[in-house]
Amino acid sequence: MIESKSVIYIQALRFDPDQQGGSRFQSYEVATMEALSVMALLVKIHETDASFACRTSTCFKGQCGSCLIRVNGQDVLGCVTLVRPGEAVVLEPHSKFRVIRDMVVDFSQPREDDNDIAKM
Amino acid sequence: MILRRCETEVLVVGGGGAGLRAALAAAEAGSAVIIVNKGPIARSGITLTAAGGMQAPFHPDDSPLQYFQDTIRCGYGLGDQNLAWALATGACDAVLDLERYGARFVRNEAANFALGQFPGQSQPRNLFVKGGGIGIVSALAKACKTHGNIRILDDFLVTGLIKGKSTGNPCVSGVMGIDLCSGELTLIRARSVVLATGGCQWLWEVNDCPTDAVGDGLAYAYRIGAELIDMEMILFYPSVIVWPPSLKGAFVHYEFLAESILDGNVYDKENLPVLPKPLPVRDEAMRLLDKAIREGRGESHGGLMWYVGDSPKGLAAVRKKLDIAQYNYIKAHGVDPATARIEVTPGAHYLLGGIHINEECRTTIDGLFATPECAGNFDGANRLAGSGIAATQVFGTRAGRYANQWASVNSLAEVDAASVEEAVTRVGLRLAGHSAADKQKSTVKSMRDRLRAAMQQHAGVRRDQAGLEQLANVIREIQEDLQNATVPAMKVYNQPLLDLLQLETMCEVAALVAKSALLRTESRGHHFRQDYPAQNDEQWLRHTCIAKIGTAAVMGTKALVVQKQ
Repeated sequence: MIESKSVIYIQALRFDPDQQGGSRFQSYEVATMEALSVMALLVKIHETDASFACRTSTCFKGQCGSCLIRVNGQDVLGCVTLVRPGEAVVLEPHSKFRVIRDMVVDFSQPREDDNDIAKM
Repeated sequence: MILRRCETEVLVVGGGGAGLRAALAAAEAGSAVIIVNKGPIARSGITLTAAGGMQAPFHPDDSPLQYFQDTIRCGYGLGDQNLAWALATGACDAVLDLERYGARFVRNEAANFALGQFPGQSQPRNLFVKGGGIGIVSALAKACKTHGNIRILDDFLVTGLIKGKSTGNPCVSGVMGIDLCSGELTLIRARSVVLATGGCQWLWEVNDCPTDAVGDGLAYAYRIGAELIDMEMILFYPSVIVWPPSLKGAFVHYEFLAESILDGNVYDKENLPVLPKPLPVRDEAMRLLDKAIREGRGESHGGLMWYVGDSPKGLAAVRKKLDIAQYNYIKAHGVDPATARIEVTPGAHYLLGGIHINEECRTTIDGLFATPECAGNFDGANRLAGSGIAATQVFGTRAGRYANQWASVNSLAEVDAASVEEAVTRVGLRLAGHSAADKQKSTVKSMRDRLRAAMQQHAGVRRDQAGLEQLANVIREIQEDLQNATVPAMKVYNQPLLDLLQLETMCEVAALVAKSALLRTESRGHHFRQDYPAQNDEQWLRHTCIAKIGTAAVMGTKALVVQKQ
């Protein structure tokens, strides 16, 4: 694969609660000349693949936590985590909360220890 | 198809500042309350984006009467005076209530509230909530979670109001909605329903609100026959960021450009300042910016440059003033707001009009209450800085209190079967699909982009008859395209369904805005008609009013309320 300086490469963990078989990674590419926040990246993925679920609400302050997510193995706020063109990122749901679908988590419930996603 | 049913005394739709305050007021008065919110509470909604200014007349030289007069004057006389008076007389109590719930306000050396003076305020009247809108919502959400009478349902998308059986005045009997986490279609019956769903700013391509702001409550109230007023009155904030793309939608304060604060300006591509000093109020400011952009003075992404880097106050003072979450967010995106030129244009910021209410927050439907931002119109054709948050608290309290009162003397209305059928069909029709989701979704996105671009172009800062008629045609075309759109019938967190239902709502609300803007053949405050540039008090010191009768949208006007109480 030839890496382009105008593309962000994403490996995103998919989880479909209606299907058996746990989680799997899926590759996406987002064309951009500018750096994007992880939150903006998620919205772009959802716009091209409707089945990819993510929360889209934001407070524009980096505080509300609607965008909590795991990027390259670290739990972060997606709205203030920047990814530059040419970079590759691994996106997973935040590790502390129960996963509802893909990146959407239930903030009121903790992740269970035997959750298969956490073990991956 | 209805999978779950439940009942409550007071149902609050929307978990932002107004909804949470309404729930507390109703619960404290004794009602059993359910709050439903389409996202997680305190992690969604418009209040979170508020910068933290809240007006209340605490200054020794100030008074509720002055606040009232400023409100009416700034609104170009279009505000209902009963509502403006309720706001002016209730704001101080609302601040003290917020403190009681745990929100904290910035205080000065003497431990009094620190008061700022923004354009249009005749006295220093602006308090600052620590943590901004998040500080408010966090405190109220905590109070709701610990109150025994309140139950919160997160990720619950209301899809419509359910009418009650009635031989007289139309009434509400509850809501239909989808529990997004389980996919269950749920009927919640309630004695009274409070709509606290916020505005519809996301209909415009440039706005400073989260994606939640699609106008749900407006469409739901309209569908069951409630009167909506002044839907053409959208407040445009002068300085919403349009570049870089990762910061799109955040705003920088035009108020901070005042001589007394940072004394910066917004500059064109020749580096000429666009705003005069003292700073004009919001509608004048946004029109000046729009004019400069229209004259070709904008930068490459269509905006002008907000800049405080040469502030006579000095860099240290600028950094101190900007050391708040909103500006640290901008910094995290690699842009230093203290030194960088930031590209901005006017963007949709607040809905002034909305569901018609009286001073008890009653709509024209029995048992249905509404509170700003989705209810109008306490401010008129413009709003003072700091009144948005104050209104969520003052009217939220009133809505909750009077909804409780209604619930204590009325039993559950019997549900109207046809209304339930319609609500079930609305969702069921969309779930019939089993074709490729990807193909359909790109259509939803393209339809939504088209709608938002048309709103920006034709119902933005400048409007005229030809443009508004064209907008109405675009909306109709999108609605036709939308008619047969379906999504896969997946249960858990069906986001394509959420997107589709929201687009349907957006189209309905957009049509109301277009019709109302067409009807008001004058310019007043934030409604600027190029073809009717003058304010016409003789004909237009009235609300535009729109209501659904049968299947038709009936337009008219409604007299202003000119009695304070």
